[in-house]
Amino acid sequence: MTTQTAPKTKIKIAYFDFTSCEGCQLNKLNLENHILDLLEHVEIVEFREAMDDKADSYDVAFIEGSISTPTCVERIHDIRRRAKILVALGSCASIGGINAMKNLQPIEDVREIVYGEDKYLFPTLPAMPLSAIVKVDYEIHGCPMSIPEFLQVFKALAMGKAPIKPDSPVCVECKLRENECLFDRGMVCLGPITRSGCDAICPSFGQFCTGCRGLVPNPNKNAMLDILTDHGLSLQEAEKRLLLFNSYQHPDTFK
Amino acid sequence: MKRYNLLLQNIPDFVKHLQAQGEVLAPHTKGDNSFSFDKVTDANNVILDYNRTLQSIRKFFLPPTERLLNYSLTENTFTKVEIENNQRIFLGVHSYDMQAVLKLDFNFSDRTPEVNYLKRRENCTFIGVSFEPDDFHFSRSVGITVEATEGFDIFLNRHENGYEVQVLTERGEGIIKGFNALENAPELAETNRQFKNKIKFNHNRLPEVMEQSWKSPVWDEVAKRCVGCGTCNLVCPTCYCFNVVDNVDLSLKDGSRDRHWDGCMLNSFAAVAGGENFRETLASRQRHRIYRKFKYITDKTGDPWCVGCGRCAAYCTADISIVEIINQLSDEFEQNYLRKSAAPAEQII
Repeated sequence: MTTQTAPKTKIKIAYFDFTSCEGCQLNKLNLENHILDLLEHVEIVEFREAMDDKADSYDVAFIEGSISTPTCVERIHDIRRRAKILVALGSCASIGGINAMKNLQPIEDVREIVYGEDKYLFPTLPAMPLSAIVKVDYEIHGCPMSIPEFLQVFKALAMGKAPIKPDSPVCVECKLRENECLFDRGMVCLGPITRSGCDAICPSFGQFCTGCRGLVPNPNKNAMLDILTDHGLSLQEAEKRLLLFNSYQHPDTFK
Repeated sequence: MKRYNLLLQNIPDFVKHLQAQGEVLAPHTKGDNSFSFDKVTDANNVILDYNRTLQSIRKFFLPPTERLLNYSLTENTFTKVEIENNQRIFLGVHSYDMQAVLKLDFNFSDRTPEVNYLKRRENCTFIGVSFEPDDFHFSRSVGITVEATEGFDIFLNRHENGYEVQVLTERGEGIIKGFNALENAPELAETNRQFKNKIKFNHNRLPEVMEQSWKSPVWDEVAKRCVGCGTCNLVCPTCYCFNVVDNVDLSLKDGSRDRHWDGCMLNSFAAVAGGENFRETLASRQRHRIYRKFKYITDKTGDPWCVGCGRCAAYCTADISIVEIINQLSDEFEQNYLRKSAAPAEQII
C-alpha cells in the first residue's frame, strides 16, 4: 500500500446551476455532519446559493441542471474552459432528467404553453444533459443527487483517483438489504433497469423505483417493457414510466 | 439415531430451550408474504412452515457487505477486522439450504481457505425442517430430498400434529438435553411429498448436455427476456462471488477495505482494466451462470452446484426459470445427439 497524504493546497471548487429545482445544491448544504471535514480540503470559490464571490478558474466545477436555453450553452462552455474537472450533479445534469419530457412535444407548442404571448422573449432549446454540449468528467446521479455518492466522488477526486461508477441495477441493492420485491407486493418498479447507488432507498421504504438515476449501461428495454406489461401496465403506461427521467434517451425525443 | 415427537403447541417452549443455549436464528415473516432468517427475540414469531426465505443462511457466513480491513494511509498500517464466532443455532433450515452451505464449505476451503467464512462457520448447530415443495422447488431433481439430513444435528419432519424429531449428532443430543416436552416418536405414515417442478434428465447427465450446449440458441432466447438485474445470482444460496472496494473516510487519512456480493449476470462483472468485458452480452452471462451450476464446478466435484431451491425463478421479475432452460437444452441435446429411435429420456421421481 502506498502512502498518500492529504493535499497541501486546498482544491478550488465551484457550484453552478442550470435548469433545475436547485434541490441538488440544497442537498449539498444538507451535508451538515460532513461539511466541516469537507471544508478541510476545499476552498469554495463560487456558489451562488451560498455566497456572492466569483472566480476565474476552478479545480472542480460541480454543475446542476440541464441545458435548455441558448444562454445555458454559452455559460456551460465558459465554465468548461475554466474548470479542470467538470462533474454533473443530479439527473437534470447527468441524463437530462424530468426537464427532457418537454422534448417529446413540438418545441414551439411547449414555448407557447409556458410563456403564452410573451414567448418571443424566451428563446428555448430541447432540454439536454451537460454531456450533450461539453465533456463531462464524472456524473453523480439521482433526483436529488445522492449524498454518499457525492462524498465518494469528492474523496476520489481529492486523492487524485478516478471515482467508482455504479452501474448495476437497483435490484442488487434491494437484494443486499433482503427487501421483499415490490413486484411481489403488487407494484411495478423500475429497479431492474435503473442504475443503483441510492442504496435502494425508495423500495426499502415501500415506494417503487421511478428510475431517477437513469438506465444501467446496455439496458434491455424491450425485456423491461415486457416485465412491466406482464405485471399489469399497458404498453403506453409502461413507456410513460420509463420516460419520466429518460426522455432525453428516447429515440423520438427532439434533440 | 434417537427419534421423538414434538407437538405443535410445544414449539415456542422448544425455541426458548434453544435460546438458553445460544443465539437462535430462524425464519420470520418479512413484508407482505415473504420469509427471512433472523435472530429470534420472541419465540412465538418463529415460522417453521414456509416455502423459502428471501435469502438463504449463507448471509450469516458470507454477509452481503463486510469490512475486511481498517487501514491508515498516513501510518501505512492495517488491522484485520475480528470475526465473531459465538454459539449459533440455526432453526428451521430446509435440506437444500443445508446442502448449499456444505457446497460453500467446499468452495471456501478448496485451495486458499477463506478465513472469515470458515471462522463464522464454527460453533454452528443446524436444525432442519421438512417443507412442502411448491411450484418452484426442484431439489429432488438435483439429488436432494425434502428429508435429506446431511449436515443437520437435528431434523424436524412435519406430520399432522407436530414434528418427528430426529437427533442426528452428539451436538444435537446436547442441544435437546433437558427439554422435557418431547414424546415418544409417532409411527409416521409414508410421506408423499411430490415435486411439481422437475428437470427432465437425471442430473448426472447434465454435464454432457452442457458440453454440447455452448452454441445453443437457447441462450439468446433467454437473453431477450432478461434485463440482467442480477437477482438470480444474489438470491442463489451457492453463489459466492464478491467484489472488494477501498473506502477512504473524509479525513483522507484512514479507510477500510470492504467487500460486497457481486453476480456474474451484472454488466461489468467480467470487465477488466483497459475497458475489456469478457462477457458483454446477456446471452454469454446467462450461459456462464448455468455453467457455474451444472458444469464448471460439477466437472471438478461430480455434483451439480445448484440445490433446487427455486429462488432464481421465484424472484425473477422476467419469469425466467432455470428448470425451463435446462429442459430446453436437454430437448435440444436429445434431438441433436441421441438417436431418434432411442427410448425417451429417463424420468426421475
